Parts: sequence; structure tokens; C-alpha cells
Amino acid sequence: MELIIEHLTKTYPNGVQALQDVNLKITAGMYGLLGPNGAGKSTLMRTIATLQEADSGSIQLGNLNVLQQKNEVRKILGYLPQEFGVYPKITAEAMLDHIASLKGVTNRSERKDLVQRLLERVNLGDVRKKQLGTFSGGMKQRFGIAQALIGNPKLIIVDEPTAGLDPAERNRFHNLLSEIGANTIVILSTHIVDDVANLCKNMAIICKGQVIAEGHPAELTAKAQGHIWRKVIDKSTIEQYREQYRVINTTLLEGQTEIHIYQDEAPSEAGFTPAVATLEDVYFSKIAEYMDVVTI
Amino acid sequence: MFSEILRFEWRYRRGRPATYAYFGILFLFGLITAIYGNSPASEKTFANAPWSIGLMLIIISIFASLIASAVMGVPLYRDIEHQVKDYYFTYPISEKGYLLGRYLGSLMVLLLISLGLPAGLLVGFALGPHLGLSSAEHFGPLILKGYWYHTLAYYWPNLILTGTIFFALVAFTKNVMSTYVASLLLLVGYLAGTTISQDLDNKLLADLLDPFAFNTFLNTTKYWTPVEQNTQVAALTGHLLWNRLIWGGVAISVFAITLWRFDFQRFWAEKLSKREVKTALPLSTDLRRPLPKVQQVFTNAHSWQQLFRLGWLEFTNIVRDRYFLAMICGGVLFLILDSFFGNTIYGTPSLPTTYFMVELKDFDYGLFAFIIIIFFAGEAIHRDRSVKFNGIADALPVPNWVIYGSKFIALSLVAFVLANLVMVSGVLFQTMNGYFDYQFPMYIKDLWFIEFPEYLQLALLTLFVHTMINSKFTGHIVTIGIWLAMFGIRDFAEYDFNMLFYSYVPGYTLSDMNGFGHFWTSLNSFNAYWLSFGAILLIIGFLFWTRGAEDHFRVRRQVARQRFQLLPALGIGLFTILFAGNGAWVYRNTAVLNTYRTSKESKVLRADYEKQYSKYLWIVQPKITDVKVEFDLLPTERKALAKGHFLLVNKSDQQIDSLHLNFGSPEYHREIKRFTLDGKNPVALLEDKRLGYSIYQIPGGMAPGDTMRWEMELDLQFQGFPNSGSGREFVYNGTFSGLGVFPGFGYDPSSELTSDIDRKKYELPEKDYQAPPADDPKGLSRLLFNDDADYITFEATVSTDPDQIAIAPGYLQKEWTQGGRRYFHYVMEGEMDYFFNISSARYAVHRDTWSNPDGTTGNIEIYHHPTHTTNLDRFTNGVKASMEYYSRAFGPYQYRQMRILEFPRYATFAQSFPNTVPYAESFGWVGDFSDPDDTDYAFYVTAHEVAHQWWGHQVTPSATRGANQISESMAEYSALMVLKKTYGVEAMQKFLKYGLDRYLSGRSNESKFEKTLLDNDNQAYVWYSKGSLVLYALQDYVGEDRLNEAFQRFLAATKFRQAPPYATSLEWYRYIQEATPDSLQYFLRDNFEQIALYENRVDDVEVKEIAKGTYEVTLSIDSKKIYYDGNGNILREGKEPNLIEIGLLGPESKNDQGMTRQNPVYLQKHWLKPGRQTLTIIVSEKPLKAGIDPFNKLIDRIPDDNVKGI
Repeated sequence: MELIIEHLTKTYPNGVQALQDVNLKITAGMYGLLGPNGAGKSTLMRTIATLQEADSGSIQLGNLNVLQQKNEVRKILGYLPQEFGVYPKITAEAMLDHIASLKGVTNRSERKDLVQRLLERVNLGDVRKKQLGTFSGGMKQRFGIAQALIGNPKLIIVDEPTAGLDPAERNRFHNLLSEIGANTIVILSTHIVDDVANLCKNMAIICKGQVIAEGHPAELTAKAQGHIWRKVIDKSTIEQYREQYRVINTTLLEGQTEIHIYQDEAPSEAGFTPAVATLEDVYFSKIAEYMDVVTI
Repeated sequence: MFSEILRFEWRYRRGRPATYAYFGILFLFGLITAIYGNSPASEKTFANAPWSIGLMLIIISIFASLIASAVMGVPLYRDIEHQVKDYYFTYPISEKGYLLGRYLGSLMVLLLISLGLPAGLLVGFALGPHLGLSSAEHFGPLILKGYWYHTLAYYWPNLILTGTIFFALVAFTKNVMSTYVASLLLLVGYLAGTTISQDLDNKLLADLLDPFAFNTFLNTTKYWTPVEQNTQVAALTGHLLWNRLIWGGVAISVFAITLWRFDFQRFWAEKLSKREVKTALPLSTDLRRPLPKVQQVFTNAHSWQQLFRLGWLEFTNIVRDRYFLAMICGGVLFLILDSFFGNTIYGTPSLPTTYFMVELKDFDYGLFAFIIIIFFAGEAIHRDRSVKFNGIADALPVPNWVIYGSKFIALSLVAFVLANLVMVSGVLFQTMNGYFDYQFPMYIKDLWFIEFPEYLQLALLTLFVHTMINSKFTGHIVTIGIWLAMFGIRDFAEYDFNMLFYSYVPGYTLSDMNGFGHFWTSLNSFNAYWLSFGAILLIIGFLFWTRGAEDHFRVRRQVARQRFQLLPALGIGLFTILFAGNGAWVYRNTAVLNTYRTSKESKVLRADYEKQYSKYLWIVQPKITDVKVEFDLLPTERKALAKGHFLLVNKSDQQIDSLHLNFGSPEYHREIKRFTLDGKNPVALLEDKRLGYSIYQIPGGMAPGDTMRWEMELDLQFQGFPNSGSGREFVYNGTFSGLGVFPGFGYDPSSELTSDIDRKKYELPEKDYQAPPADDPKGLSRLLFNDDADYITFEATVSTDPDQIAIAPGYLQKEWTQGGRRYFHYVMEGEMDYFFNISSARYAVHRDTWSNPDGTTGNIEIYHHPTHTTNLDRFTNGVKASMEYYSRAFGPYQYRQMRILEFPRYATFAQSFPNTVPYAESFGWVGDFSDPDDTDYAFYVTAHEVAHQWWGHQVTPSATRGANQISESMAEYSALMVLKKTYGVEAMQKFLKYGLDRYLSGRSNESKFEKTLLDNDNQAYVWYSKGSLVLYALQDYVGEDRLNEAFQRFLAATKFRQAPPYATSLEWYRYIQEATPDSLQYFLRDNFEQIALYENRVDDVEVKEIAKGTYEVTLSIDSKKIYYDGNGNILREGKEPNLIEIGLLGPESKNDQGMTRQNPVYLQKHWLKPGRQTLTIIVSEKPLKAGIDPFNKLIDRIPDDNVKGI
């Protein structure tokens, strides 16, 4: 099954252009969406998740028209929104059971089994009888993940799923995702570039409502290989470098300021050394074309 | 720190649109109310009288508690909601400074917002007289004190009280919802006070417990005349002062406690579940076990199953809500409170009949049901969103119609529960009272088929509004706004065509006798009409219902188009057809078969009638001398065929050429089948169908002394159902019709517009009196109750269904069955005034007899509904005691029988026809007289109606001013005398006090001017209450026997008077004057010819035991007698001494009947000069109380301060 997005455009009533002619083709496996805050990732994901209308364009999932056949899509969808609340006075187990039933799992013992297994997988087994209102942020997030996996979703959309998870939980989640992602479309949005690099078969970078880069993370990184140069500089001189070079990133390294620039040829100025391009460099170099990235 | 927080609060509020919106709402409300210039009291009270402004400010302060909760509830909650707490807490601010700053800042804003109302009123009243939307007479001069005084004394304190409570609640509960509950509790206090204050004895309690001082204000100013209302403010003394101090104290202590107990730690602590966490058994720890593959089913059956599952889940969510439970408890509490207090007549409770328990739903409970449905419709629609679960829930594979439909199902269940609670509480209350005649069919028919659909309609509209508005708070406001707008149009614009007001149905009355009667079809038709409309709303709401993140209307329209597929389209089509079909049917019934008139159209009609035909008021017409009627009643068809055979005589000295027939416009259809004069069809000179007035040529004319036969045959029937009205003349069981079906002669002044403001508006001259003066020869030549005849001979043949008994005045000659119908033939012996009824119902009959002083006996017959047997002996005892007293005191009774019959409770009165008294079902038959201290009005009213056989039927007053006192004041006096004889003089004070209260309230609501006993033509409070009080005092002063002898002589001189001049108040007064000694003539002048009110008061009482068993009692008293003109202006103060009773009272005891009686140790009349004085009285028994006019025999403006405890 493929998810094909064509010419998707959305403008909010307040004039914000959330999506501008977005075209994407997503196949089974993990698909990462990267982009700065407000780029339109969540809008795109909500639209695919049948929660929002588009002004124009189409989304096709297999033979389903997502914008029209919403309920058909929902039958094979797992969705974890970026922000969500829970009913405080109900236990995790009962709530998952309820959601499973709404997702068409009518067989009671099947449902029970599924819920138990999900709770195990997200490591909520021992708090399954606790009311959701007592959950910490990370536990709530894991509950969110569990509910998205109910049923046999063919399309899983998770919007910043690892926010608030500790490193161990995050890893556990990644494993879970990649296990499912083998024959399912999993769309994952995140700010953590490394996650995409490690997990995703394909990815897109979105900025100001447009897809500004798409492809396999390794390929994208490979393309940038040999174009990234770094130098440790004096913090006060940074403005000069900005004027002179395409500075894509500035980081602090042991108290010193290090800049990365994008340039086809080695800069003549002394002190620049070639850097091994990372996906982060790709990300910054791409969005730097659309906005001013100042990290210092 | 405090001042900075205060400044912040002020700056923040200044930028909020809500601040201006609240001010604007109040301003607009004040402006519009003022411009329309409606006065809450009589026409003589200015809309901008200080009293009216005070009342308005107090009432609005109650409703403005909503604004108070919005303004005072949020400042603390804001910090929680926006999670400012996470860092605010770390600033160096003190708890007191924080709280005080937030509180005072918000309070300041609230008080400034509240000024919108007085400002709007001021502007409106300045504009009002010039805009002409209301007559200029409604507006008086500007009296600024009315604004600032009432704002400072009532309006602001009330807002401060409610605001402080709301503020404190949020400080302690950290929850805005609690302010909802608080407003509800305040409402409870307010309504409870209002309910309790209806009972006279609880005035003090009601005055002090009312947090808004609304009842206190009304009770304090209750007897104010229009003049006082227009000039005075209610000063803060007595109960009002105490009330303000108590509730001001409550506000201060609430805030002080809040300030003292408030604690940052607690306020900003995360709320943790108190419930102990269950430790769950560990699950498998093998994290690599794959997720099982599950079977997913998405069939239609599954969707339906989910619809009901989700509906039930939503329903349980609602009913488990503690606020739902709080509101339900409030509603049930009111059902019970109203069961206790809402069912009284003359302060006496009625039995808890099922119809009453059912009708309770429309008392205070209705308001709770309304709030619950609106509020929880909002909760249901916004439930997922309010916990932000919608992101997950909306992406679940549940069809839209299942989710939306489940909300509807949940609300339907809530509506059904609400309807059935009325039955639960009703049956409980009945059982608690030992009343076991539960009529479950009536409960179920009403609550399931009338009330439930009404709640359902409310739920449908509310769901629709909440769906379309998509914001919880605005949704509530809009729904309430729709209802207020409908209410406003109906009440102020006086347009009430029910078809145009969502969910409105014609009013109806349940009855034991007639069940749902003819209202059943009407109610079902209207409900079907509104439910189809509601269903259309439901489907439209479904189309626009928001799922997902989109809430802009443009997008929602796009979504609606997507959803508008076959089924919704079919649904809308189907329900539109049903709506239109039902609409056509309802319209045909209410507007085609019956005539709908707006209040204005009716007034225009009455004005036109007067303009065109008042010239015929004194036209000479023949008089009826013999009446034979035949009525064929068809109760199941609400139909009657009436034949009248009348003998007319020209008693005048003029030739009469034309007969003026005044048909009027009855609720039923009337078709003239036959109409002849002396056997010939008369020629119409005028037939005005619109105003119901026709003139016919008398064939050959009537010379003085000529006679003529008038025959008239009428087809009478109620058709369909009307927009409103009870249609009570012909019903399935309990027909009560009569004389009124036949036209009267000439112009009828009783249908004129009475309000002078209306009269002016429709270009009619102001009218002070209906009747001419007592010496007017034309008035003297006519009888008051019916001027078409003097005295007549009468017989009636009535046929009805075989299971019913038909009754008319007269003695039953024969009863037979013919053609499956039951016939009754009644003939009256001797003459009677032209006043008869025709009644028919499925009666049971109770028979008894009374004995006359001459040894003969008379028959008492009570025709009653078979189950209404509780109080039969009270009616028979009433008849017996009356017959005995009246025939001794006034003269013999003219008949040998007295019949009392029950009619359905579509009206609440009793009426005295010759030897026949119809009595409304709710008036005595179902009274609960088990407490002897409650007024036994079944007995009392029977005595009154029996007295009319003398006062009204033997002596029939002339059509002049004051003459009706001969009928009503005398009947009321006679009844009081029977009570006194039966219960003893010591038990009479309660009756006198009720009478005094009715008189004083009546005069304060007078819309023209108060008339004296001698010239009062239409003021009921004068002829009943003042008349009976004055006559009672008079017999106490001159002696009962002496006064009765005078009445006996008056009766002998006037009864069955064959020719004019008929009896007047002056003739009656002469007999009273004769019986009164010279020393007391001042009493007659004061009370019959003028308006004089006493202000007697005990200031102080001291008792000294001067010797063993001898007590010296010193009373400091004040006595005043003030003369007023009819408008309530003071004319002068009396200077001469008055004979006033001084009493020293011992402990109360019970008389034989178990009633409370007063036991005077000393009771003497003293000649007292007006002014302050002291009296010293020596008695041998220690009194408990002392008083001036302690039994309220005199008309006293403040009856409560006549007695003081020692």
C-alpha cells in the first residue's frame, strides 16, 4: 500500500499558509518528517489522519481517497497526536479496552489479550489499574502510543511520539515502531534529527508548508558529503563569518564556538577543516535556504 | 505588592472585551426596559418611580450573579488554567497581597460593570417620554435618589455578596464549576424565601433569609400606594436593615475566612488522586512478544451497537457528574418544597392529588430541568474536547452518526429521567401524606407524552446550538438567549401565536373530572409539530458537527456538503414533510377553525365595540319575564343544541321598534338555527359579525305593556383546538354553561377596556366608573347582574349522555331516558333573577337536609366527582349553619333546596345561582383541612355563596355605583358571622387579618383610584375585604343583633322588588345609619363615605405586680387616623377621639374545633385621642401580651405592630 499526496494545499482562515503544494509518495516502512516549529508537519499529519480538510490536492491511501473516505481510512489508522489529554477518572486498561472496541475489536477475549499485550509493550503493565489522571507525562505518552497501535493499523501517524520519554523508553519505542514498520506505513514527525537518521527508510524536510527535501536519509547525507566545513572561532567574530559564508549551524563544543558552513569548495581561509556531513547538517543547510537559522 | 497586583488586574480587565460586553448587556437591558416603560406595579406607578427602580435593581442583582460569577470566579482560576502558577509562585509576593489585589481589582471591575444598568435606565427614562414606544403617563419626574440609594443599599451589596462567595469558592475548590453550584444554591435560597413568604406567618424568616432582600423589599413596601411608590425609597430600617446587616456580614466573613485560610502551597498544589492505587499483577515481562493479530468488525450492526453503548456511556458520564447530582437534588428539593407550600388556597393546603403532583413540574423544577439539559448538552458535545482527547477520539473508526447520535441518546435518557423524577417524587410525597389515590395513567400520559417531548425539544435545540456555535460558554448563552427572546416577545410584545415559538404548546389544565380532556389532541399535535422541527435541527446539526481540528465555519460548510448524502437528505425531507403537515394541521385548528387574536387585536376590537355601540348603552329594550330553555348536551362532541323560549314585555313607557342583540364572541362556534319574534323571522337592520352586535326590527313594534315571544335555537360547538384558552363551557365531563350562550340586549359595558392607558391609546376617554351614580334614574331602573330582565319565571329541560346528570336551577320535575339520552326537567317556583347555569357531569350525589326555624326542612344535594368525598360534610355543614343563621337573622330562605355541584378546575371560583352553587374542583373538594388552624374555606365559601341567596337573589342590587356592596360585602359579612358563631369570636382574628392583608395589597395595586364603600362599582378588594372588615367591626361596636335587625328591615323593604327604583348603597346605608348610635356615626362616615386608615401601635408595655394577684399594666401607645384620597395622597389626620379596643392577652388555647383562640384577660373599648399616650390598667391575672386593637378589627396600615409581648 502506498500513500500518495498530491498538490496538497491548506491555508488557515488567519492567512497562514500551512501547506503549499505538497507532493509526497510514502511506501511501507518508517517515514520521517523533519521541520522547524510551525513548518506544517502537524497540519500535514492531521490532514492525513482525517482530522482536517485540505483546500485542494488529494491524498490517496491504496485505493482510498483519504479526504473523502474518512471513515474507511480510520479503520486502518493509528494516530498519536502531538498533544492530547485523557479522561482522568478511568484506568489505562479500561480506556484501551473501550478504544479497542471502537476500533472494531468486538471479540471480548481478543480485546483483552490485545490490551494486555499493548500494556506490556509500552511498559504500563503494572499501572494498568491506575487512573489515567495520575499518570506522569511519560506514562501518558506511552498510553498514547499504545492506543495508536490498537487494531491492525496499515497507516500509523505519530506526531513527536518520543517527547517526554526517557532514553530507555525512547529506545523501546523505536524498537516497537521498527518492528511494526516492516509492512506498515509509519509516519513519524520529530525534532530529533538522529531519530530519523537511525530509524527511517525515507524522509522529508518541511519548511514553511513546503517540502524542501525528500529522500533516503543516507542518500541525502551522502549528497552533502564534502560540502560541509567546520571551524572553531571566537564567538565575537561570528557576524563576520555569517556575512562571508553560508553558515548553517553553530554549536558550542566544550565552551568554544564551532561553525559549520556549506560550500562546494574548501574555503581559502585558514582553520576550516572538512566535516563529516550528518543529517543535521543537511537539515540546517536545507532550511537555511528558507529561513534564517540562528542558533547562537 | 498588593497595589501592583490590583493594578495588573485592572489593566488586564480593561483590555478584555468581556468587560465591555457585560457592561453593554446591562446598559442595553436597562435602556430597552426603560424606553418601553413598563411598570412592575399598577398603572399609577411610574416606570421610573423610586420603588420601581429599586425593585428592578434588586431583581437584576439576582440575575447579575451570573456576571458576578464570571468576573469574580476567574481571577484566581485564570492563574491555574493558564498554568501561570508554575512561575508566579516563585515571585516575592505575599498571599494576602495576592488575594486582596485580585479580589479588590475584580470587585472594582464588577461594580463598574454593574453601573451599566442604572446608566441604561437613566438614559432610557430620559428618552422614553420622547420616543413614544410607551405612553408618556408611564414616566414620572427624575428622582436621582431612586438610583443611588437602591444601588448602594441593595444592588451593590447583592453583587458584592455573590461575587465574594464565587471568589472564595474558587480560592478553595480551584474549580470554576463550583461557582455554578453556588449560583444554584443562591437560587435555591431565593426561591425558597419566595415560596415561604407566601405564607403570612413566616414573614420574619423569609425577610431575613433572602440573600438579595427581594422578598424583604416586597414585604416592606407591600401596602405602599402608588403615590408612595412614586416618591419614596425603602429606608433601611426594621427587617430590611437586619437583612442587609446579616448578608453584609456573611460577605465580609466569607472574604475574611478566605483571606485567612488561603495558602499558596495548597492552592497551587497538583491535585493527586486520593484513591489508593491498586497494585496490579505484573504482566509478562517479555517485551518482545509480538502484538496479536485481531479481528476487526465494522458492520452496520456493530455501529448500531456502538451507538447505544456510547449513548449509555455518555449518559452514565452525565449522571455520575457531581454537578448533575447537585442540580438534580436541587430540583427534587424544590418538587418537595413546592409540594408543601405551592398547593394552598387561603393558606390551606390541598390534598396531593396526582394532577397537582404532575403540575409541579412547571413550578421551580422546570427551571432546574431547563438548566440541566442546556448545561449537559454542552458537556456532552464538548466532552472529548474539554479533556483534549478529541485528537485521538476523532480519528477512531466510528461513523459520525454514531458519535453524534450517542449524544442525542444520552440527552434523551437524561430528559426521560428528568420527566420521571416528577413521578417518583410525586408518589413519594403522596405516600408520605397518606394519600394513596395514585393515578399512574395520568402520571405516565403527562410525563411521558407531554413533558418528555418538551424536554426532548429543548435537548434537540440545545444540541443544535452547541453544535453550530461550537463553544461551550457561548452555546449556553445563545440557548438561554433564544428562550429569553421568545419569552420577551410573548410577554412584552404581547404576541403569543404558539406555532411560531419553538417548543411552546397551548397551556392546559389537568382535572380529576375531565382528565386530559380536550387538551390531549392539541398537545400531541403541537408536540409532533415541534419534534419534527427538532429532528430537522438534529440532522442539520449532524451535518455541521465538528470532528477533528477544523472549526472555521467555511470549512465546516464544506464538510456539511460532503456529509449531505442520501440518508440525511431523506431525513430532512421526511421531517420537513412531517413538520409542514403537522404545521398545516395545527394552523388549521388554531387559526382557521378558531380565531387567533393578539392582545392588541383584542384591544382594538373592544375599543371599536365601545366606539360604535356605546351609544346604545341606555337604549330602552323589552324585559324578559319568562324563560323556558331546552339544552341537548353532547358531551363527547363538546356540542350543545340550545333552545330558548322567552316572553318579553315592554315595561317602559315608550314604543320599542327594534331588538338589539349582543352576541359577543365566545370561544365556541355558534350557529343560529332558528330565530323568531312572535313566530316571524325578524328583519335585520344591522348584523355586525366582527363585533358581535345585531339589530332586528320588531315586527309591528312593541307599545308600552305589549308582550312578545322570542324563540331562539342555537347550535353550539367547540371545533378543533385553539392557540390558548380552556374552552370550559362544553367538555367531556363537567359542562358548565348557561345564560351566556344566548345573546343579551343592547350594549354590554363590561367588555370595555378598563385601563386608562389603554383607553387613551385607542382614543377612548378615561373612565373612572362603570356604573352611574346611585341616584341615576336609568341605573335605578335596571338590575346589576342582568339588565335584560327584572325577575323571571324559569324552567329548563336538559338532556345529556346517559351516564351524566344534568342540572339547572329549579326543582326536578321529572327524569327520563329517551333515545339513549337522559332528560331532566327543572321548574323554578316563584320568581328569580335572570341568572342560570346548565351543568352536566358523571356525578355521584350526596344528600342531607337542614331544618328551618319554622320546623320545615330543606334538601341539601351535593353533586360531586365520585372520588371527591373527603370534604362533603364541610359543604353540608356550611349549608346547615348558614341556613340557620341567615333565616333567623335576615329572613326566610326562598327555596326548599340547596345544591352544590362540582365543575372541572379550568377556573377556580364558586358562583351562586338560585338554589344552585357550582364550585370548582380545586376549590374545596380536594382541600386538606386536617389542621384546624387552616382556613376551612369549603365551609367559609359555602357560607358566602349561600348568603348570596339572600344578598343578590332576594335583594338584587340596581345597576348603580356602590350597589354591589349589597351583594358582596353583605355575603362576606354574613359568612364571617357564621364563622364567628361556629368557631367563636376568639378565633376570628386570622380571618380579619387575611381580609386586611387583601384590602391593603389591593389598594396598593390600584390602577385608577380607590373608591369608597358607597360608590365602589368594580373594586373587589373594597367590596369583599374592606366591606367585610367594616361590617364586622360595626357589629362588634353596635351589637350583632342590632345591626342584623337593620339588615332584616332593609331586606324586607327591598326583596323581590317588582319595580324600580331598585336597591342602592344609599338605601342600604340608611338602615345602617339608623342602627348606629350618634357617638359612632363618625365610624360610618370614616369607613363608608371616606378612606380612613389607622396607624395604631404599642410602643411599650410594663407590668408591675402591685399586690399579690393584682397587676398594673402600663401601655405606651400611639394612635393615628389618616384620611386619604383615592390616589393615596394624605388629606388630613383625624383629631377627634376614636373608640378603640385595648386588650391584654393571656396564653393562647384551643377551642372545641382545635383552632387557636385568644384569651383576653382584659378587653375594653376606650375613647382614645390620636397621638402618643399611656394607659394604666389593673388586672388580676398576669397577661402575656398587650395591644391596641389587638384583633385587627379596625383598618390599620401596619397590622403587625398592634400587639407587643410583655
